[in-house]
Amino acid sequence: MDKAKFRSMLQCILVLSAIALCSGLLLGLFNLITYVDPLQSAYDRFAQDTGATFSEMKDADGETIGDGSVIYYALSDDGSVHAFLAEGKGFQGGAVQVYLYISDGVISKVGYGEVDSSQTYIDRVKDAKLLESFEGKEVASLNALSTDTVSGATGSSKGVLNAVNAAVEYYKEHVGGENNG
Amino acid sequence: MDKRKFRETLLGGLIRNNPTFVLVLGTCPTIAMTTSLFQAFAMGVATTFVLIFSNLFVSLLRGVIPDKVRIPCYIVIISTFVIIVQMVMRKFLPELYATMQAFIALIVVNCIILARAESFASCNKPLYSMLDGVSMGLGFTCALSLIGIVREFFAGGSFAGISIPGFPVMQGAGASAFGFITFGCMMALFNFVIQKVNERKERIRESVLPLADQLEEVK
Repeated sequence: MDKAKFRSMLQCILVLSAIALCSGLLLGLFNLITYVDPLQSAYDRFAQDTGATFSEMKDADGETIGDGSVIYYALSDDGSVHAFLAEGKGFQGGAVQVYLYISDGVISKVGYGEVDSSQTYIDRVKDAKLLESFEGKEVASLNALSTDTVSGATGSSKGVLNAVNAAVEYYKEHVGGENNG
Repeated sequence: MDKRKFRETLLGGLIRNNPTFVLVLGTCPTIAMTTSLFQAFAMGVATTFVLIFSNLFVSLLRGVIPDKVRIPCYIVIISTFVIIVQMVMRKFLPELYATMQAFIALIVVNCIILARAESFASCNKPLYSMLDGVSMGLGFTCALSLIGIVREFFAGGSFAGISIPGFPVMQGAGASAFGFITFGCMMALFNFVIQKVNERKERIRESVLPLADQLEEVK
C-alpha cells in the first residue's frame, strides 16, 4: 500500500478515535453529575404524594400482570400506605406509568408518571380524569379493565387501565387481607 | 479584534442570515415544536447551546480534523452536546423533556448546526465561531418563539400558557398544516419588512450621494 495513503488513513482513524474518546469521557462526567437513580426517584415521589416515609422497597424487581406490570412496590414505614409504580401498554405498545396508593384496602391517591411520547392523546385521558376516577374505590371488588375507555383516546386509556389493573391485581395476590394496612 | 466583523457576525444570524426566515434551515423543529411559546423557546435555547459549543470545538479542532473525516467528526462533536442537553433536561426539567425528547435527539441532524460547522466554524477563529453560534441560535430562538406565539394564540387561545378570555379556540390550528401556513406567512412578512428597510436605506444613500459629490468638488 502507498505509504502516504496509509498515513492519511491512519491519521483519520486516530483523530476520529481521539474525538470519540474525549466525547465519551465528557459524557461520562456529565452522567455522574446528572444521573437520576430510578429507585430514589420513586421513593421521593411516594413520599411527596403521601407525606409518609418509605425506607425499603418491598418489591424492587416488579412483576408483569397481563398487559401491565408493577415496577416498584413499597410499604410506608408506619405500614399504612401501599405504594405502587405501575406501567401499562397503551397505544402501539407505548408505556404509561401511574403511581397508585392503597390505604385500608381503598385506593387513596393516584398520579401519572412518565408517559411514552407515542401516547399523543394522553391529554384527552387526563382531561377526562380517567385515572382519578379510581380514587376511593375498594380494591377487593375492583376490576379496572372493565372501566370504559375515553372516546378518541382508546389506546392511551388502555395504557392507564392496564397499569391500574397490574397494581390492583398485585395487591390482591401478594398483599390481600393479611397486610392491608 | 476586528470590530466590524464582530458586529456583523453577532447581528448576521438575527436578521440578514436568519436561519429560519432567510436561510430556511431547521424547518422540521420549526413546524413540530412551535405549538406553544414555551416549547418553542425551550427548543431554541437547546439548539443555541449546541450551536455555540459545537461551533467552538469545530473551530478549535479545525487544524487537526482531516478533510476526509470532517463530517463524522462534526457529528460526534454535535451529538456529544445534544446528549449533554438531554441529560441536563432529564435531570432538571423532566416534564418538558418528556414532551420534547424526540426532537431534542434530532438536533444532531439539524441542518443549521451542521451548516454552521461546515461553512463558518471550520474556517474561522473560535471566538467568531462562538459568536456565530450565539447569533444563529438567537435568530432561531426568536423565529421559533414568534411562530410559537401565533400558533399558541390560535390553537389554544392563550399567550405563554395564560389563557386569553373570550378568544374562541380555532380547531385544527395546532396541526402541522397550520404550522406550515404560519411559517410561510411569517417568512413572507419578515422578508417584506427587510426588503422595505433595505430600499429605504438605499434611497437615503442615493439622496446623500450628490451632496457628497458636491462636497468633494468644493474640497
